[in-house]
Amino acid sequence: MWQKLKDGIDHRIGLNELIDSKLREYRVPGDTNIFYTVGIVTVVAYMIQAVTGYFLLMYYIPHPDHAFQSIQDIMTVIPYGWFIRMIHIVAANLMVALVFIHLVSIFFMGNYKKPREMTWLAGGVLLLITLAFCLSGYLLPWSQRSYWATTIVTNIPTAFPVIGDFAVTILRGGDSVSGVTLTRFFSLHVGFLPPLFLSIMGLHIFLVWRIGLSVPPSSPSAKEQKPWTGYAKVNYSKSYPFYPDFVLKESSMILLFLTVTFLIMSFLPTLFLPETATTPADPLRTPPDIKPEWYFLAPYQMLKVIPNKFLGICIQLIAIVVFMLWPWIDSGDERNISKRPVLLTLFLLLAVLWIVLTFWGRYS
Amino acid sequence: MRYISFLVVVIILAAALPSSAGYRELFEKEFLSKPWGAEITEESACLECHTSDVMTIELQQIPVDWKASWHYQNNVSCDDCHGGDSGDATMAMSHQRSFIGKPQHADIPDFCGKCHIGILKNYIESGHGKALKATGEGPNCVTCHGSHNIQKVNIDIINAQRCSQCHSYDRAKIIKQALFLTDKKIEKIENDLEMLKKKGVYAHTEVMTLFDTQAKFRSLFHTIDVSVIRDKTYYFTKKLDEIEKNLQETFQQLSFRKKFSTFLMLLFACTWIAVSLISKSRKD
Repeated sequence: MWQKLKDGIDHRIGLNELIDSKLREYRVPGDTNIFYTVGIVTVVAYMIQAVTGYFLLMYYIPHPDHAFQSIQDIMTVIPYGWFIRMIHIVAANLMVALVFIHLVSIFFMGNYKKPREMTWLAGGVLLLITLAFCLSGYLLPWSQRSYWATTIVTNIPTAFPVIGDFAVTILRGGDSVSGVTLTRFFSLHVGFLPPLFLSIMGLHIFLVWRIGLSVPPSSPSAKEQKPWTGYAKVNYSKSYPFYPDFVLKESSMILLFLTVTFLIMSFLPTLFLPETATTPADPLRTPPDIKPEWYFLAPYQMLKVIPNKFLGICIQLIAIVVFMLWPWIDSGDERNISKRPVLLTLFLLLAVLWIVLTFWGRYS
Repeated sequence: MRYISFLVVVIILAAALPSSAGYRELFEKEFLSKPWGAEITEESACLECHTSDVMTIELQQIPVDWKASWHYQNNVSCDDCHGGDSGDATMAMSHQRSFIGKPQHADIPDFCGKCHIGILKNYIESGHGKALKATGEGPNCVTCHGSHNIQKVNIDIINAQRCSQCHSYDRAKIIKQALFLTDKKIEKIENDLEMLKKKGVYAHTEVMTLFDTQAKFRSLFHTIDVSVIRDKTYYFTKKLDEIEKNLQETFQQLSFRKKFSTFLMLLFACTWIAVSLISKSRKD
């Protein structure tokens, strides 16, 4: 039956030829490491978010009077609603972690260099959209945590002279976080960001596919590579087929991701759900220890530490611009970071600073 | 390109420095003088005066006591009991704004009973209430609960030390015995609800039912009539049993969730190991 179906499709569209030419003949460098699979795991995490988000959408009510209760109904009344929501929460946090790991590994291996600048830029935009997803999705449960964490984050633009208050009003749809903010964030989360994310992710994957995977800088075959002069189909001295070998490697990492997701759901179900997340929003009562999510802790603490907040925000914006344009700033040929002590030191310093600020923000 | 990017960064940074200086003061006032999240801050004329040195030590103690109280935790503010306008210092103690101030000893039950209606009814009908009405000097709310540092009550408020101030503890002990089991059940349910909250479950219906049952049960305390307490305890026990049953079901559901997730985790872990081995064997 299966063979008959396969033959039928092959007869009509040439499926076997398509698989051979686009997957089997597509080559992957022989010495790729597990970090080469993080990108596809992130894509799977995004797909999980889209599917679980779609199911949540069936029962969620984006109104201040009903949002919290509808979430509680999903958790307790709707059959397996808890399962869908918990996957959505855990996978969202793991997705951010994966994006960071992907970014750091790409940086470490110098894979942003010519001809992959546009791939880096598209990846950077995807990171920003991911964070926008997190920020907009955070408010939707209308809990104490979501209400006050959103109040904190949407307060930040007030640091800008002249346009600050106006920007906050636009963001919130009023002076404070209200039902209007909820509707805005909801439409952003389910209407605006997904197609934007999908198109840029499509571009990112196309660029990776078209340019081909880079050889790790530490690998011996990297030395054999000639300097890049113009687009040409890559030929690796040592390689293996994308399908089935690399697909198996990727599948293994996707399964590891799913294992970790269910591990957290089984043994640490409240890791991303503190008590304030199960308390209805109360605009008249500020919880004593409200904090942004872990991925926003470092920039949050940085703003608290720098005495002049406008300067703090400017530094962060400049850091984002530098990060996005990094392939053009660091345009030299050397990819191996171990041969670039200044860059390595700078990278380690920034990583330590980020970690310190995160812990400081968490426990201050 | 590198130099252009560097130049852009320097220009933005340089522009940020002078323009930020003028806004620093304004920003800190708006952004840092209060907690980051706290947009709606507590501005009370009552607290302003009562925390200032103009007041005697005794009057300065009132806000301290209130902030440690169960009322404070439940958003019950000065003007909710004493009237007046806490938002306007000039009208804070105005009788035109229904300011009451410190009530007379005999007026205290009505003062508290504005909110605690059921309790007031039971108190008036009780021996305590009748004594106050008859002599003007019987025990009132403050005698047992205090005035500003009012804490969440449990059955231990009935004790030899407190009751013996006015009469022997014998009858109070019998009342305490009649209330004991129901009170312990309430305490257990409260702990269970707290535990569920920590596990990420907000049992709204159970919280509300417990609140209602507890309020009615607490108002029963004030009858200080053993036969009434014994008669009505059955009704409360039945209600509490229903809540307990629902909570047990929720705990069972949580246990199922854990088992279900663990099963899926093991399933994916095994598949992961299998796929990794296949992948490795192909590589070799």
